[in-house]
Formats: sequence, C-alpha cells, structure tokens
Amino acid sequence: MQKYISQQNFTALLDALIKQGTRVVAPKLNAGTVLYEPLAAAGEMVADQLPRRSGKEAFFPLCEEIMSYEKTGQQVALTDIDPARFPETVLIGVRPCDAAAIPVLDAVFSWDYKDEFFLERRRKTTVVGLACTTADDACFCTAVGISPAETRGSDLFLSPLVGGGYRCESYSDKGEALINSHSALFAEPSGAEALPLAEPQTEKFDLKKVKAWLDEHFEDPAWDSIATRCVGCGACAFVCPACHCFDIVDEGTEKKGKRRKSWDACGFWKFTHHASGHNPRDQQPKRYRNRIMHKFKYYDDKFGQTLCTGCGRCIRLCPVGIDIAAIVEEISKKEV
Amino acid sequence: MCDTANKNIYLPYLTTVEEVIDETPDVRTLRLVFQDPQLSENFTFRSGQFAEYSAFGAGEATFCIASSPTRKGYIECSFRSVGRVTEELRRLEVGDTMGVRGPYGNSFPIEEFFGKNMVFVAGGIALPPLRTLICNCLDQRDKFGDITIVYGARTEADLVYKRELKEWQERADVRLVKTVDPGGDGPEWDGMVGFVPTILGEAAPSAENTIALVCGPPIMIKFTLPVLEKLGFTDEQVYTTLENRMKCGLGKCGRCNVGNVYVCKDGPVFTAQQIKAMPMEF
Repeated sequence: MQKYISQQNFTALLDALIKQGTRVVAPKLNAGTVLYEPLAAAGEMVADQLPRRSGKEAFFPLCEEIMSYEKTGQQVALTDIDPARFPETVLIGVRPCDAAAIPVLDAVFSWDYKDEFFLERRRKTTVVGLACTTADDACFCTAVGISPAETRGSDLFLSPLVGGGYRCESYSDKGEALINSHSALFAEPSGAEALPLAEPQTEKFDLKKVKAWLDEHFEDPAWDSIATRCVGCGACAFVCPACHCFDIVDEGTEKKGKRRKSWDACGFWKFTHHASGHNPRDQQPKRYRNRIMHKFKYYDDKFGQTLCTGCGRCIRLCPVGIDIAAIVEEISKKEV
Repeated sequence: MCDTANKNIYLPYLTTVEEVIDETPDVRTLRLVFQDPQLSENFTFRSGQFAEYSAFGAGEATFCIASSPTRKGYIECSFRSVGRVTEELRRLEVGDTMGVRGPYGNSFPIEEFFGKNMVFVAGGIALPPLRTLICNCLDQRDKFGDITIVYGARTEADLVYKRELKEWQERADVRLVKTVDPGGDGPEWDGMVGFVPTILGEAAPSAENTIALVCGPPIMIKFTLPVLEKLGFTDEQVYTTLENRMKCGLGKCGRCNVGNVYVCKDGPVFTAQQIKAMPMEF
C-alpha cells in the first residue's frame, strides 16, 4: 500500500498515537545527544540526525530485569516478568541501517530457545523506517549491501519529499494497520519527487571474499596490526545496531534483588575470562579479531548474513580511531 | 526437556540442597532435589549436559550435571570455589534453596558406545563431566566391554569423589588407575605416581573397539591426545568436553564460542576430530 502524508498530518499522527497511549519511540534530543527514546509530543522528534545509539534498544534494552528473587528462611520465591508489561510501540524515524539490523537480531533471539523479552516487544512494535538523506564520511551502508532507501526491517517506510511530507509504503500487515488506524491523515500518493538519498562514499565490499579470507586466517600476523590499538572500551558494541552479546547479573543482596540482562562487549577482557584465571582471549587483538570474525564470518556461517549494516557508529565513536570499514576493505584486498 | 514456548527462558527451577559433600578442601558437591514434585519426577537429562546454577544475589555459574541420569530423584553438581558465584554456592547448607536452569547442550552419544570398551581419562576437578557417564555405564554394566578409568590429581587430597574411587577400585569389572603428581603422594597412597598422560601410556589400554573419553585442563588434554594416538586411537574414537565462560547457555549471549562453534549449543561434548578442526581459542 502506498500513501502520502503531509508534514502537518505526520505530526498529528504521532500526537494521536501518543494520546491513545501507544509508546512512540523516535530520535529525540536528550541532554545534547540524540537517542531513540519515547516521545511526549511529536515536536520532540529529530528527523535529521542519526541517533548516537541504534534502535535495537526498543526490543533489547541496555539493561532489563528478567526476574526478581526474595529469600525467606531457607526458601526463595522468584517473581517472573509479565510480558503484558511491554507496551504497544511505534518505533518511528528509524534509519535504514538500524531497521535492517532488526531482522538480524530476530535470528539470534528466535533460533532454538525463544527469548520472549525480545520477541514479545518485537510483536508489539511497528517499525517505521525513514529514507536516509544525510550521510557523513563514517557511513558505509552501501558497502555492506544496504542502501539509504533499504526497507528491510521496516513495516512502514517513509521517503521525505521535496516540498515536505512523506511518501509512505507499507511492507507488512503491521504497516498497513498503522495507516488504516489513522486513515484520515493519509492521502493518495502525490507525484512529488523524493528528496535525494544520502550517498555513502565507501566502495561496495566483496563480502564473500572477505569471508573466504576470514575462513582461512584465524591465525594471521595481520590481526596484530589491525587491532593493536584497541583499548577494549566496548563503545563499538554498545552503539552497534547488530551487536547482541549480553551479560546476566544479580543486583541486590542475598535476601532480595533482581536478575538483569545487560549489554556486554566482546572487547572487554573479562568477557571470556574463566574463574580459574584462564582466558581464551587473553590479549586485545584476539578480542578484536572475534569482533570482526563474528560480524563477517561466524554470524554468516550460522544465519547466512553479515552482522553489520554499515551505520558507521563504531567508527565515529572509537576513541583510538579504529575504522572497521577500512579494515574490511583491507581484508577484501588480501589474497585468499 | 520442558515446553518453553512463551516462557521466560532465563527463569531457573528451584531446588533444595539435600546433601553437601566436601570432596577436597576447595571442591564441593551439592545434591539437589527439585522443589516441584512433578518436575522432580519428570526431569530428564543426558550425560554430558550442563546447567546454570544460581546463587541468588551473586548470579549464575556453569557446570556439568555430575550425577548420572540413571540415578533419579536428584541431580548433583561439583565445583571449586574460585569466583563470586561459587563462593556463594559454597555457603549453601542442607535445606537451602538453589536455582537451576537446564539441562543444556549436547551429550555423550552413549547408545553408540554400547558393546564397546570404555577408557576414561581425567585430571583434577575435571572428573565430574566423566563421572556422570562412568556411573551411567556402571548402572548398565552389561552393555559395555572393559571399563578403564585413569584419574589423576596433583595430590592425594585433590582427588574428587574419593568414596566412588574406592568403590570403583573394589569392583572386579572396573580397572581404576589412579595417580598423583610426583610428591603428591602420602604414606597411605596405594596408587601410581606420575602425570596422567604418562600413566595412561603405561596402562596402555587397547584401542580396539574402544572409546576414550578425556577431560582435564587444556595442558593435560594436549599431552594426552598424542598418547592415545600412539595407542592406536583414531580421532573419532576420542571424546572430550569443553568448558568456556557462559552466561545464557542458550546460544544467544555470544561469549562461549570457539571460532564459529558455540560450546553451549554445539557442545560441550566434542570428538577429538572436532576439537582439532577448531581454532586455538579455548
């Protein structure tokens, strides 16, 4: 289904959703940083900046309670989390690099054991993607096979038009349902031209060739030079739309507390550290190698895709200037 | 084993500590009974599988289920107190409540071992992952040929399951070769003195129609595999279990991988052939 919505009606749509009690999550300015956060009013949405962190936290929060416990004498009572507490959500203004990462995460949380914390939020969320008209020199979505108009992961996709408003195209029942629920705000598509898309400057990687090299070069002197600078701060994993490693920790006393699931990063030395003192990834280059391997080989081995959508956040944020796009490009030029 | 559809996969079962056994000065075994009588009745697992054990307030730790599925009504875990969670688990007393999630991971294909001779090789705290299978085999003794157990630790005091070692030693249908590192023997020591790979070589079990199961610190495994090879074992005849730091145990949290192999889902049981195909990341 294709429709048109004016800027004014778009604002009215968000306000109507908020008013009816739907959680509307969109890029929002918060203390100088744009993040995907619940809006209190449509006017809070910031459409022209890539949020600092990705949209994954709408389904996979930075830290969330997965149960609580309370001890009385020798007995322990556990309290489960009721998935009914997860609100109906519209995640709107999602950049294509962030939206495309959502199906990548679906695979992780739904294969074999089902993580209902992620999956129930997913069921209750309508993802509204937004074509990307601004790129910077860290963007490389096109290099990993995604475009600024990529609709993968979006239920409804918005393309900003010259002269204002958006062309809306639905890609799922959820997307269609969102249009139908407020159909008066949408009009038939106009002939207006879409704003020009962003054009990331990185050349398309030969991901097959990259993987072929990784398949054969777990041990390679190149890893030392690639990752010797990494300080293991974990920032790259925290801003990544596709990274999904997590920790499970108890917070509280022996008597009473909560168990939480929180983001983790393979760059941390403690990530694989055994209680015995042994650490299979005892040096930073081994940890950074795992990051590249997971993104461009291991995930592909298992799910047939790449665990990177080229958002460029890790490049912008890295305190020592590690550029994953440059690394992958370098690997793609190596003899297999 | 349970229907997990729409359930919280991170929610542990509650168990009661039924017995506390001190194996060594720092290794303890807990016998656990599920508090839900129906679950206690129906809980099944296979030798080789592991679980996540909760010390509420400290978190979870990963160990194999050390008891045999043939011995019903309880499960056992054995652990050395070396970290935050295991220190807390060590404080549990009989009657206390402990959380358990599992069973997880693959298992020893015991049915494929029927009719074969079994050689178990373990070092130190690594006997528990094999003890589940040893007891399993002994409980259906007529299904196996010769059973040889080569087990060593640094000192006499570091040997775990001393009661069972005695029992195995007294059985006519088990050959137990126990050893301690040079200097680890006391005046009463009636076993061998020497490192496990060396003692295994001297015990020289036949490789014919035999399965070897090896578990120990990486250095012991490294020196044991060539000994087995020399005795004529092929890589398909040799099994081991891997241990890596885990959190979820469910193939999601992303930390136990060795290359593209998830120890929690693809393992923890692997053949030597599979181990040799892995990058050195364990």
